[in-house]
Amino acid sequence: MSTGQAIYAGWMEIPTSAVNDQARRRAEDAALAALVDQYAAALYRVAYSVLRNPADAEDAVQEAFLRVVRHRDTLNEVRDHRVWLIRIVWNIVLDRKRRAKTRPETDDVSEMARVLPSTGLSAEDLAAAAQHHAHVLACVEKLPAKEREVLMLSAFEELSSVEIAAVLGITESSVRSRLFRARNLIARLLDHTRNSQ
Amino acid sequence: MTTNPHEPHLSASTPESAEHTLRIIANLPAPEGLEERVHDSVRRAPRQARILAWPTVLKPQSNWMRTAAAAAIVFAVAGGGWGVYTRVQPNRPTKVLFMPRSVPPGGFSGAGAIRTPETVPGPAAPQPPKSKAAKKPAPKTPPKNSVTAQPTAQTQPDVE
Repeated sequence: MSTGQAIYAGWMEIPTSAVNDQARRRAEDAALAALVDQYAAALYRVAYSVLRNPADAEDAVQEAFLRVVRHRDTLNEVRDHRVWLIRIVWNIVLDRKRRAKTRPETDDVSEMARVLPSTGLSAEDLAAAAQHHAHVLACVEKLPAKEREVLMLSAFEELSSVEIAAVLGITESSVRSRLFRARNLIARLLDHTRNSQ
Repeated sequence: MTTNPHEPHLSASTPESAEHTLRIIANLPAPEGLEERVHDSVRRAPRQARILAWPTVLKPQSNWMRTAAAAAIVFAVAGGGWGVYTRVQPNRPTKVLFMPRSVPPGGFSGAGAIRTPETVPGPAAPQPPKSKAAKKPAPKTPPKNSVTAQPTAQTQPDVE
């Protein structure tokens, strides 16, 4: 042991709680890694459904987990990690979308054709499908924010109306009424655009 | 009009069609290696600062340490106050009295200026020697308002 170490060894004492802290930290790291493995893909899909840009969606997922790291002490208090994480990433993507309002979204037909599943479809059919989906997404964007958010979250089959309510911070009956209004509005919008063509 | 080849039985203008589109978007697969990249970013995230334990002698819980800290605060506050007190002087009335300046007759006045520059005294002209003729009384000059000095209105020529 060097002289400096000897001085510090006598001067600074290592508390017994440090060992417990290390064990606790290791357990938190393991829990965090498990959360990443389990929910990163789901969070990516939620982020992508709003941002419709793969790089931005991945950034949002990473930011969500960084927020989790910052609040790792509260991990044990969370009842439903999946809804909690979706809520975090949902707030992040809405914030990003609000800030980057001027940036054009990549929901054009070519981008849709690139990401759409092409199993059993000819190139012509795929192009037609991409055009259709891009048109529908453009109509969805015209919906009021409250109705649009509920409609987008309802597309995730793993989310029940109770969980959607928890993500949005509203009641379940509000989710149902907003979903009802959103369906009516989107039908009217699609009908209007079909008649105008 | 656009059609949906993924679900040909759905009409393009129904809400089910819109929900089907959203479901396709929602079920798109995540990119390869997403989890690894997130693991990396989490690992690189800055941890909370490590707190070193206080030495036993300097533990904040010990009373003498608290007393010393309180004394240091009191000393700093009192010292600062004393420093300000000694530097700042109270506003005392001025002892200078401004007297009205005596202006020589026919000379320039100071125009009420509080300070006037001290100019160098000008060159002194040599005094002429006093002669006897200077002692003689000067001849009397006629008074200005005498008859000969000022012509009357009758004597003046008419000006057309």
